[in-house]
Amino acid sequence: MHREIIRRGMDSYDVAHLKGRARIKDWEAARQKCQEIKREAIDHLDRYLLQFEEKVIARGGHVFWAADSEEACAYVKNLATRLGVRTVVKSKSMVTEEIHLSPVLEKAGIKVWETDLGEFIVQLREEPPYHIVTPAMHLNRGQIAKLFREKLDSGITSDDPVDLMAVARRKLREAFFAAEMGISGANFLVADAGVIAISTNEGNGRLCTSVPRIHVVVTGIEKVIPRLEDLAVLWPVLATSGTGQGITTYGTLIGGPRRPGETDGPEELYVVLVDNGRSQLLADAEQREVLHCIRCGACLNICPVFRHVGGHTYGTTYPGPIGSVLTPHLNGIKEFKHLSYASSLCGACTSVCPVKIDLHHHLLQNRRNATAVGATKSSERMMFRAWRSAMLHPWMYALGGWSMRKALRMLYGLGLAGSIVDPMRVWNRYRSPVPLPSESFRARWRKNRAAN
Amino acid sequence: MPQTEKAPTENSSRARILDRIRAGLRIAAPEPPAMVSERVIFEPVIFEPISNPLERFQQECAANLMECALTADSGASARRLSEVLQSLPAGEIFVQDDPSLRRLIEMTTELTAPGRVIRWSSEGPPAGASQATITLAEALIAQTGSILVTASCGGRGASVIAPCHIVYATTGQLVPDLTTALSRATQERILDRNSFACVISGSSRTADIEKILVQGAHGPRRLVVILQGER
Amino acid sequence: MPEAAIDTVKVLRRIGYKVEYPEEQTCCGQPAFNTGYWDEARPCAERFVRVFKDADLIVCPSGSCTTMVRTFYPELLAASSWRADAIALASRTFELSEFLVKVAAVTQVGATFPHSVTYHASCHGLRELHIHDEPLQLLRQVDGLKLIEMVRSEECCGFGGTFAAKFPEISAAMGTSKAESVAATGAEFVTATDPSCLMHLEGILGKRHAPTRTIYLASILAQQDAAQSSAQVKP
Repeated sequence: MHREIIRRGMDSYDVAHLKGRARIKDWEAARQKCQEIKREAIDHLDRYLLQFEEKVIARGGHVFWAADSEEACAYVKNLATRLGVRTVVKSKSMVTEEIHLSPVLEKAGIKVWETDLGEFIVQLREEPPYHIVTPAMHLNRGQIAKLFREKLDSGITSDDPVDLMAVARRKLREAFFAAEMGISGANFLVADAGVIAISTNEGNGRLCTSVPRIHVVVTGIEKVIPRLEDLAVLWPVLATSGTGQGITTYGTLIGGPRRPGETDGPEELYVVLVDNGRSQLLADAEQREVLHCIRCGACLNICPVFRHVGGHTYGTTYPGPIGSVLTPHLNGIKEFKHLSYASSLCGACTSVCPVKIDLHHHLLQNRRNATAVGATKSSERMMFRAWRSAMLHPWMYALGGWSMRKALRMLYGLGLAGSIVDPMRVWNRYRSPVPLPSESFRARWRKNRAAN
Repeated sequence: MPQTEKAPTENSSRARILDRIRAGLRIAAPEPPAMVSERVIFEPVIFEPISNPLERFQQECAANLMECALTADSGASARRLSEVLQSLPAGEIFVQDDPSLRRLIEMTTELTAPGRVIRWSSEGPPAGASQATITLAEALIAQTGSILVTASCGGRGASVIAPCHIVYATTGQLVPDLTTALSRATQERILDRNSFACVISGSSRTADIEKILVQGAHGPRRLVVILQGER
Repeated sequence: MPEAAIDTVKVLRRIGYKVEYPEEQTCCGQPAFNTGYWDEARPCAERFVRVFKDADLIVCPSGSCTTMVRTFYPELLAASSWRADAIALASRTFELSEFLVKVAAVTQVGATFPHSVTYHASCHGLRELHIHDEPLQLLRQVDGLKLIEMVRSEECCGFGGTFAAKFPEISAAMGTSKAESVAATGAEFVTATDPSCLMHLEGILGKRHAPTRTIYLASILAQQDAAQSSAQVKP
């Protein structure tokens, strides 16, 4: 059932995505432009970050640079406790997942409400998001209705998504108006205007950044873009790649706390710029472009491995192809190299990435890096050494092929296909055995040549 | 211990991070692939040029599930506003305090009905239980069927708190595309004069449950544009 | 599988090329390279370059091996004394269908195959070599062949080389998805530019006792009816 739910979700994305693409006259030109924008931003990261910071501070906002997740969490926690915050409403932010912010706040006695519907649902289930854009896509309406009945004391009898949304809306309204602090992420940090840009559909991000008296933005340093006009192509491309929309419902731009004379808005704004391994990735010239990622989710949506396996199996904040490429850099190659191997290198991710990151080649490079630091099994290395010897000597290559065929033929003849002694047993568990040719091409070629 | 700082210098990681960034960037990246020669001469046309912005705006509004009512004058606008308000439950209406909206409200008969309370933005932010908000816009964007609002349009909550958001705009405010809207915003320093702006392209929605689109999530279920002016 | 090579040779000869098979060749090095063992792959790559460097044109009955030579040899051998030869070789190395259509400039190879066939777009050919249309152009010219398009023809079959061994369940699940797309066409045969995809699919289809059979592209093009075969001039 799980695969079926995921499959349906993916199929509806496919249809929407094509419609969204049709709104953009020259998709390849759009990708090229987005790649150039992000390359310019990352290649001058220090300059643009400083430009952004200066403007935010001039308007009365605060900017804090956090070297790692501990520092970022400590800063937000200390801020909250110092300002007497008891309740926080949070809109979607992958970075806050990455740094594990919510547990830190909760341990300090602060109640944290995830307000994005999908995040709200997985928070109630006490599990991490399944997909960076649609966190609860692995659940069906019946499961969600049951969850609301159990966890929200809701008497809801319907499992219609409209009714389920109404339950969530009522519950979270209370939180929006009670919370002292709203925490959001940022899709982009616009350097020339000195604003954060947040792309959403639900309106919870709008409420988190309008109602509570303190607004905290937690963002990676790589989110920078040079100009406000860059959003004219980034916004449609982000929406098309992520959900197949022409543009998300809300493209919010925030440059500071409320100004004197404004009707409402937070009195204080704090922007937390998180490094947490990104500056290190910057120094890897070969893979620097991985920082161009705009977190659209297109690579997840197209990846056939992700379709079959789903977000939770990755066990990382960022799943899918971008996660497999990025995580070894953020969290260490030894622990996470296996993700780079969990791919057939089909290249579909690279073909859809709106900023043209060469994702599947980066996976290959991660594999090379893993073997270079000795992070792979020594038995595997030995095997490839032996393989190399065979490949360097055609007689060994021919003999190897011949003896393998002979051995397999004998094993299968004895009915031992798939048994413990079958070297092809992994293959044969899922597939019928490979038909064994009676002779190799090489042998046949030599025979024919000899005959002529 | 890092606390909120008044000046950048109190954040010790800041200098370290900047140093790491600068050191990292000194390592040259591989050459980007050569660009196609046409690009040097022509900027490729990413989006289809828009010949009839008004028509495009209306098409996009329909696709965004927004309501767009074209009116010829303020009398027609007031009548339209009446119709919309009639369909809403009793309760508070929040209105941006602006002379053109004051005039419009005076002409709108529905608002004298019992149970209708008007709260002006000059009195404070909208109540959580407001039934509708009425605001102006900074601009309308034809390409995406969007309205651009700022903090000056009644504040941040005005475009998100109530189940129905009504925008009173004129055809003269229509710009063809996002590029025009954003470059104008930059030139006019809109984000220096306002702490907030938002490009809104529909009512709030979610597809988080089984990827089924539900209109009206945490924000408005209805977004109505009363568009007054020459056709 | 030897048929892939045998039939490739047949087709090339039929359209008038003189075909040589250097017997000292072993492997392009891809399995080690793809698994991250570039040091172990490098000597194989150098050997390949040495064995083939005097060939005018190299045709490969496999999109993935062609990719190894064209796309990856320049990078793998960047610091090697064989670098210049590798780059020169790369520009003369082709997968069979792109060779026929783009180099030999033929789509009609005088083949007959009166069966329904569906086409799977193997990943290396599609995304690394940008082979989109060429196999279809060739198939359309085959006498009696009914070409049926499958949905998600560009989705990976799940073989991925060592991926199939390291992540067998995912590999099999992806193969099953592909098998379902194939079955939905009702075609008698499924073909592709990569024999490894077909071997994997054949295994999956066999396990499901599905009626569709796999056949490598060259093997279709090698098929002729009686009139065509007798009309052939022996090289």
